[in-house]
Amino acid sequence: MLGTVVRIELHKLAASLVGRVATAAVIGGVTVLSVAMLFAVRSGRPEITAKLGALTDDWAGFLSAAIQVTGAGGLLGSAVVLGWMLGREFTDREIAGLFALPVGRAQIAGAKLLAYLVWSIGVAVLLPLAVLVAGAAAGLGAPDVAGLARLGALSLGGALLATPVALAATLGRSVLAGVGVAVGLLVIAQVSVIAGAGGWMPLAAPALWAVSAGQLVSPGQLLLVPVFSGVFVVLTLVGWRRLEVGR
Amino acid sequence: MNAIEARDLTRTWGENTGISGADLTVAHGEIVALVGPNGAGKSTLMSLLLGMLRPQRGTASIDGVDVRAASPEVWRRVGHLVDAPLAYPELTVRQNLELNARLRGFRGTAIADFRLEQYANRKVRALSLGNAQRVGLAAALQHDPTVIVLDEPTNGLDPAGVILLRERLLARADAGAGILVSSHHLDEVARIAHRIAVVNAGRMIGELDPHAPELERVFFEHVRLDDERRAA
Repeated sequence: MLGTVVRIELHKLAASLVGRVATAAVIGGVTVLSVAMLFAVRSGRPEITAKLGALTDDWAGFLSAAIQVTGAGGLLGSAVVLGWMLGREFTDREIAGLFALPVGRAQIAGAKLLAYLVWSIGVAVLLPLAVLVAGAAAGLGAPDVAGLARLGALSLGGALLATPVALAATLGRSVLAGVGVAVGLLVIAQVSVIAGAGGWMPLAAPALWAVSAGQLVSPGQLLLVPVFSGVFVVLTLVGWRRLEVGR
Repeated sequence: MNAIEARDLTRTWGENTGISGADLTVAHGEIVALVGPNGAGKSTLMSLLLGMLRPQRGTASIDGVDVRAASPEVWRRVGHLVDAPLAYPELTVRQNLELNARLRGFRGTAIADFRLEQYANRKVRALSLGNAQRVGLAAALQHDPTVIVLDEPTNGLDPAGVILLRERLLARADAGAGILVSSHHLDEVARIAHRIAVVNAGRMIGELDPHAPELERVFFEHVRLDDERRAA
């Protein structure tokens, strides 16, 4: 039954405007912004290159740009999708129809989270491919395969970090509650980096790891990311199991 | 064994909201209508019967099984429409009905039975309120449930839709289904109900004979007397 509900959730996501736009925005947005930064570097205009810092006209610079954009934009895009998948049942008032079924609410929530994971893996595969094609089209030569893999891993890491959004959309019974928490997550991630929390802060660890090519974050610190995500997955499942409607 | 049973069912929010001490039975093959003013507690009672709310006191059971412990097999026999239809706006009518069927573990749809053929490939967001309601009713009834709970099912339906629903409910009752339906339309429920239970201010206050003359007047008299009793 779980497989059936996962397929249903994937079908709903694929048919939705939110799913399509968010997928295009994450993959297309990161790629276009990275290409724009690459061409800005190539322009050689000192006022622009000064703002772009260490970005260079090669795969390393191009991927560095893509990783920086993905660090923030990927999390936000994932959060919108996840917040919508759970919060829309309340906003669109379908939630009452999800009671009194042979499949329980925790199972439905689990299916939503699994469908989200499938979507996230898809984006984590397609995003590096899009960046690869764009980099090749821009004449960057032989690709940096390890860098592309880090980009995909960062995309997936960002998706895992968005799981508090699922709980927020459940407790807040709306898409907006989830999106609001997503913005909060981004702020916390930025502040924790500035405050020097570094790799021990799960919200910042994947981006730091990807930017530093693994130098600034240990595998143990990276393992905190799925643990962090798992806690919110469990809380979300409990929230759906104990859900009530009407008041 | 009753299809639906409530014993001392209670869930309240402050004074006079929710439902308190509700006793109700619906036998298989029986249609029971739940009537009452807005905010009387009809939807709360139905939500409790379907496990959408947890009772503070009392029990709700389906086919003799407490809804808090009901298995998937029990829920597979239930069809319901409470609050809003389970119809996703981004999916077509056919896709929505297929989705509902798969959630209940079967294949196929009742598009023809609910005369939705001309809308089958139209997205639900493009349907009128009445046709969206018809999709919700088809989703609730297409698996031939033996326990049916419908809250204001005629909302938005055109006269043809009302007649269609009436025919479907009578057919399901003839087939042995126990049906609980709430409505503001006394004349409509009187056509199909075997019994009419009256809810007022969060309590069950009695029953009406569906065949009694001047049913509306009798209903309002019931409610007025109850209001006066409570005020005294």
